[in-house]
Amino acid sequence: MNQQTARMREIARELLEKKEVEMVIGWEKGTFFYNSTPVFITKPEDADKLIWDDYCAVNFAKLLMDYRYLDGKVAVFVKGCDARGVNRLIQDLVIKREKIYLIGMPCPGMKDAKIAAKLGQEKEAEVPLEGKCLYCTHPNPVIYDVLIGDEVPVEIREDRFARIKEFEEKSSDEKAQFWASQYDRCIRCYACRNVCPACNCRSCVFDQNQDWLERAVDRSGNQFYGLVRAFHVAGRCIECGECERACPMGIPIMLLKHKISKDINELFGEYEAGLDPEGDLPLGMYKADDPDEFM
Amino acid sequence: MCNCDDNHGASPLLPVVGKVIKIVEETPDVKTFHVTSDEGKPFTPMPGQLGMVSLLPVGEAMFSVTTQGPDHLEFAIKKAGTLTGVLHEIEVGQAIGVRGPYGNGFPIDLFKGKDIVFIGGGIGLAPVRSMINYCVENRDNFGKLNIIYGARSPEDLCFKEDLFENWLKVRDTQVHVTVDKGDDNWKGNVGFVPAFLEEINPTPENTIALTCGPPIMIKFVLQSLAKMNFQPEQIVTTLEMRMKCGVGKCGRCNIGSKYVCLDGPVFTLAELNEMPSEY
Amino acid sequence: MKSLSKANLPQFLEALNQSSQVYVPVVVDGTSRFIPWEQGAELVLDKNSNIPPKYLFFPQTEDLYGYKIYKQSGERTELPSAMEPFVVFGIRPCDVYSLEVLDDIFLTKGYEDVHYKQKREQGLLISLGCLEPEATCFCESWGLNPLNAPTADIMMLDGGDQFLLKAQTEAGQKVIDSQAGLLEEFQGEPPVGKPCTLTVETKGLMERLQPMFEHAVWDEISRKCINCGTCTYLCPTCYCFDVLNKTRGEEGIKYRCYDSCMYPEYTLMAGGHNPRPTKKERVRQRFLHKFQYIPERYEGQIGCVGCGRCIVKCPVNLDISRVITRLWEVEADV
Repeated sequence: MNQQTARMREIARELLEKKEVEMVIGWEKGTFFYNSTPVFITKPEDADKLIWDDYCAVNFAKLLMDYRYLDGKVAVFVKGCDARGVNRLIQDLVIKREKIYLIGMPCPGMKDAKIAAKLGQEKEAEVPLEGKCLYCTHPNPVIYDVLIGDEVPVEIREDRFARIKEFEEKSSDEKAQFWASQYDRCIRCYACRNVCPACNCRSCVFDQNQDWLERAVDRSGNQFYGLVRAFHVAGRCIECGECERACPMGIPIMLLKHKISKDINELFGEYEAGLDPEGDLPLGMYKADDPDEFM
Repeated sequence: MCNCDDNHGASPLLPVVGKVIKIVEETPDVKTFHVTSDEGKPFTPMPGQLGMVSLLPVGEAMFSVTTQGPDHLEFAIKKAGTLTGVLHEIEVGQAIGVRGPYGNGFPIDLFKGKDIVFIGGGIGLAPVRSMINYCVENRDNFGKLNIIYGARSPEDLCFKEDLFENWLKVRDTQVHVTVDKGDDNWKGNVGFVPAFLEEINPTPENTIALTCGPPIMIKFVLQSLAKMNFQPEQIVTTLEMRMKCGVGKCGRCNIGSKYVCLDGPVFTLAELNEMPSEY
Repeated sequence: MKSLSKANLPQFLEALNQSSQVYVPVVVDGTSRFIPWEQGAELVLDKNSNIPPKYLFFPQTEDLYGYKIYKQSGERTELPSAMEPFVVFGIRPCDVYSLEVLDDIFLTKGYEDVHYKQKREQGLLISLGCLEPEATCFCESWGLNPLNAPTADIMMLDGGDQFLLKAQTEAGQKVIDSQAGLLEEFQGEPPVGKPCTLTVETKGLMERLQPMFEHAVWDEISRKCINCGTCTYLCPTCYCFDVLNKTRGEEGIKYRCYDSCMYPEYTLMAGGHNPRPTKKERVRQRFLHKFQYIPERYEGQIGCVGCGRCIVKCPVNLDISRVITRLWEVEADV
């Protein structure tokens, strides 16, 4: 057992024993070596289910929404991206800071479970990092009550806009063709929406009882879905990459998100969402001297 | 394959396109639509059976057929969602899709020769009315009819003509009406249906109780009936669920392994007690 | 038993394609699915397809009928429905069995779904047995044989540099006879397959679950679910659908498309009441539907064929096999 795991169990047990929290949300080992899956601990004796390994990629922030009306507190383990997800929910007034206890996990980057499944355990050493971890800018939690271990050095393996710069070189037709073929395989399962901490609306234009988008799965509908969701989280997307990781069809959703983030940076100045629950949102505030002239 | 007499045609999902020939404004949010087609009555349901009603460009929803004439069906529809909102705007002459009949309907044999207590609340009287009217038409097959009905206010009472004229003329029939809140002109009972039912206190002997209304009313009516010694086998109700196909294929209206559209919507309390309480 | 040299496979498929559209498993943009065969197509025959071939019989979106509207008037119009014979090449035994489950659902209990039936009647199944089931496969636990799909028209096994074919129906025999020139008589021993490494106890599961509707375990199991539709949309036996309208001006089409019991709106009624308001009820519905309701309603039928697609694709590893194990583990009367 690694040191972090031991410390996680210790903290969780103590929080539950002292009844400081009603529940601790962390990771437990899943089916295969490459699955680490959310676990919800409510009894101190169950704290030993918790683990910390190379596959704790799932972002818990969204799961907190289920417990926002709990009387007591919920403790949750947060990596850098998870912490930004929690900030997202706090800033969007979905959860209250005082209702959650954050246990920070400095994150060295998680391994790509899909590739791990293909390579098998014998070749585990060859498994690369999750795509979302390559461009991570904040591996250390930006908000926490207690931190396990020391902060990890920030090592950005890939410029998060690198793929965009390459993509921007394409012609309009090539771009249209690219997205058409990507979204042609969308099955509209809404995994990207449901896993996204920025998709925290009470009701969504894509719920089936709304009339904005036909449920027929076709090229225009699928692209409408992808685009509208991208724009709706514009300026609020914390770039955790969960949408792309969760997509069963492997659609490069983060390419859309990064394009929008890049545009926001260029139009409104450097901005990264979810770093601070208090900060102004580039697309969600009013300023008399807004650079956009229509104001 | 189906053991009912209707020809289900090529696909059970295809509607007959008929026409609305009359619209009765029952309450501020309930209208009764009389529907016929070029071939006459679109189908002939048994009391308690359902029909899928569609406005072609808007959508479909399942309603109980509240009663029928020789050439038409009647659907009493409360304004609640998208389709019903549009339905409330249409006028006589509107083309309308209908398909059915769906579901099991009320167990006529269980009612035969017995007294019947009908307990309805709000728009819940719509399916109950199909059975009342069936009893009226086949009066000799049934014992005394005791109709107990309540709505939020006097103006929310559905089928006023039946309540205050037609059913009063039927032999051995009593009609008791209550409202949650009266108004200046209301001279009848004021109070909730379950309490009103206990006041009337019908005997369970050789009697079947048939109830339909909002879930909260049904819950307390069932408690009241239990107090009056009605056995689960003597209590019949009809359920509402979201439905899309009507033929037990699309999945959503199940309660356990039963489909409400096919195996229901009518269940005795004895049957419901055997099913998961997920409705 | 006949053998077909792998080198002759394109010729074989081309010949079949002359009379019926042949669907083969191919990777399209990173996702394997069954698509119309073309010369030069690279078939994926070492693993099952990501998207089950269910959609050839029950498409995700399917038109039902057309309509015209003008002011108050309206009429229903027929859509062209020329259903041609087709061949599904390389369908796995679990997916063949899933069609038997769908047959029970769509073709029995009083009503026949003609849209499904037409396709089912026209589709010829050439099934490829699985010599080495994947780590997520557990069809054997449901009593299925990864090497044999009894109702496939032709059963096929990989014999190294050749495929071994056996006709199991008259239609399958016709195909074999018509391609006699490409086939040779096979005398040797057919290859032996490996068993599934993933196993679960399914015997008595229905009876086990019958009194467990209110069990606290459903709350525990459902907690990590994010209520997306991935598991249901990729499941070869999930069949729930919605019926909807597509109106353009004075014309429109009534269509159906896959729906999912994972979505809150699935059972939400116009008045606001929802019999399955939280994910606990929805997750319970998915598993009880598969393990209890289908076996109850269709006399011993199974609702899961162990293909493992939901295990592979669930974003939070809500693993159906672990759910079954957990359902056996907990004390039944808690």
